[in-house]
Amino acid sequence: MTAVPTVTTVTTPLAPGPARPRRRQLRAALLVLPAVIPVAIVVIGGVGATLLQSLGLMPLVGAAELSTAAFDDTDELLTSALLSLSIAVVSTAIAAVVGFFTAVLIISGNWGGRIVTVLSAAAVTVPHLVGAATVGLLLSDSGVLARLFGISPDAWPALVAGPTWFAVIAEYAWKESAFIALIIVGTLATRITSYDEAAAVLGAHRSARLRLVLFPLAAPSLLVASAIAFAYTLGSYEVAWMLGATYPEPLSVMALRLFNTASLTARPEAAAIGVITVVLTAAVVGAAMLGLRRMRAWR
Amino acid sequence: MTLSTSNVDMERAQREQRERRMPGDAGRPLSQSRGVMRTARIVSTVLVALWFALPFLPLVLWSFANSWSAPDVLPMSVGTDGLTAAIANGAVAAFGDSLLLSLIVAAIATPVGAMAARALSRHGLPFGRLVSVLLFSPVLLPPFAAVLGINVVLLRAWVPPEIGVILVLVVVAIPYTTFSMLVAYAAYDDGFDEAARTLGATSRFALWRIHLPLIAPALARSAFLAFLVGWSDYLVTLVVGGGQLVTLPLIIASSASGIGNESSVAVLSLSAVIPPLILLGLVSRARNLNPGRQS
Repeated sequence: MTAVPTVTTVTTPLAPGPARPRRRQLRAALLVLPAVIPVAIVVIGGVGATLLQSLGLMPLVGAAELSTAAFDDTDELLTSALLSLSIAVVSTAIAAVVGFFTAVLIISGNWGGRIVTVLSAAAVTVPHLVGAATVGLLLSDSGVLARLFGISPDAWPALVAGPTWFAVIAEYAWKESAFIALIIVGTLATRITSYDEAAAVLGAHRSARLRLVLFPLAAPSLLVASAIAFAYTLGSYEVAWMLGATYPEPLSVMALRLFNTASLTARPEAAAIGVITVVLTAAVVGAAMLGLRRMRAWR
Repeated sequence: MTLSTSNVDMERAQREQRERRMPGDAGRPLSQSRGVMRTARIVSTVLVALWFALPFLPLVLWSFANSWSAPDVLPMSVGTDGLTAAIANGAVAAFGDSLLLSLIVAAIATPVGAMAARALSRHGLPFGRLVSVLLFSPVLLPPFAAVLGINVVLLRAWVPPEIGVILVLVVVAIPYTTFSMLVAYAAYDDGFDEAARTLGATSRFALWRIHLPLIAPALARSAFLAFLVGWSDYLVTLVVGGGQLVTLPLIIASSASGIGNESSVAVLSLSAVIPPLILLGLVSRARNLNPGRQS
């Protein structure tokens, strides 16, 4: 055992001073590297390679040649992008509303809140693919709901693989509402009750407390969680592939179909869809971050 | 004898004191609902509970249905045909592969995320903001877009598909482990480590006997999140794994795309739902039992 243990963590970040140890910086960098290296490989390498493929610079065979041919089919790409965006917007909106009210029920902390806590936590752990399988069993024309209500398969609306994308939206809304509720509860559970009670003592009515206390306090985490849910929904594959109509295709489904076809021109097209999805996601997340900044400035 | 009566008297006195109210005092917390609002709250609780519970219903009903033709409200005969079909589809091996993959992902992503969070929670990391943006980016990245690109890179670098799947899933899990540990470190008191070092403990001793036990509940939560990433994945295993790795979601997808497999799909799905639920129970219990927990 060393005779004099070194105590290094005395300097505060506000007053670095001349004695600020370089060793500490080095140690922090070494600690963070095992996470940074794989993430950089997969994120920068993956997106970079997708971009190169979409521009024809990384062909499976033949010489690399710069071209934007993969982006040429604008009608098809626009249809898919609008479909993907609509699914993501509708399901995220439902998830945000349900998630917020679920969080309010959980935070209220009575017996109903406890039941909802357990059920929503269970929904968070379900893999999306399993969610898709079970929503299919629930909503298809000979599904469990049709049987419970005694409606014949002919009279049951085409919820699965139909033109409304009902089952796909329902699955995303179900899973993501549980996720959003969990995030809101996780960030606010301890803080929110005291503010709520203080407002109640001061005579605030129930709806006023919801509007002026609970919602503003939950809004930043609601926004962040919704942005994450939106990004996930936009880029997710298995649910739309399993429960969606065959045409038109969302971006991810079209990309994977092109990726798996034997045609050599299809690879750049699949990559181009990947690039478009990355750009769309970045735009939406960027807008959400700007909104968050404004929210913080306002507070 | 006298002791017990005085106890009873004490209880009654306390109860009476609790029930004694000022005029206009409803005797309940102000934020608790009454009257119409109470009914509204009960109705909305039931609706939300139904919303989360309903998708579990087909799994339970179909898992034990040997035959269940369309108009009937409940299965006609109950049995284990679904289980037999699921096992015939390779459910046991797939379950094992899924479990192994998720545990490996958790075993790598948890310490890596904890170390990164430790570095980020101390000021003095160069480019700290850039690093946290990079580490958070996999959450927002569309998986298929990254997978299409990284697949080619990994193939050209001759990385075995199993290693590739683990690498990509660890990267997907790192944001969750890093940020859950960042929350834990925000509430962590360095004084414990410093006290141990001042009292002559080596840094290794302080890490194993002081630091790790204190953050153990947070590590368990973070490992659970990483486990979920591996357990839930379909696309990465499918594309990067290239058929070398057949996990539970892959078998569920192939069964679900066939017709008439309902009970087998339900059994497979149920077996994919139960392990995370058991882990969730263990993790939340571990947090409650730990005496040295933060916050």
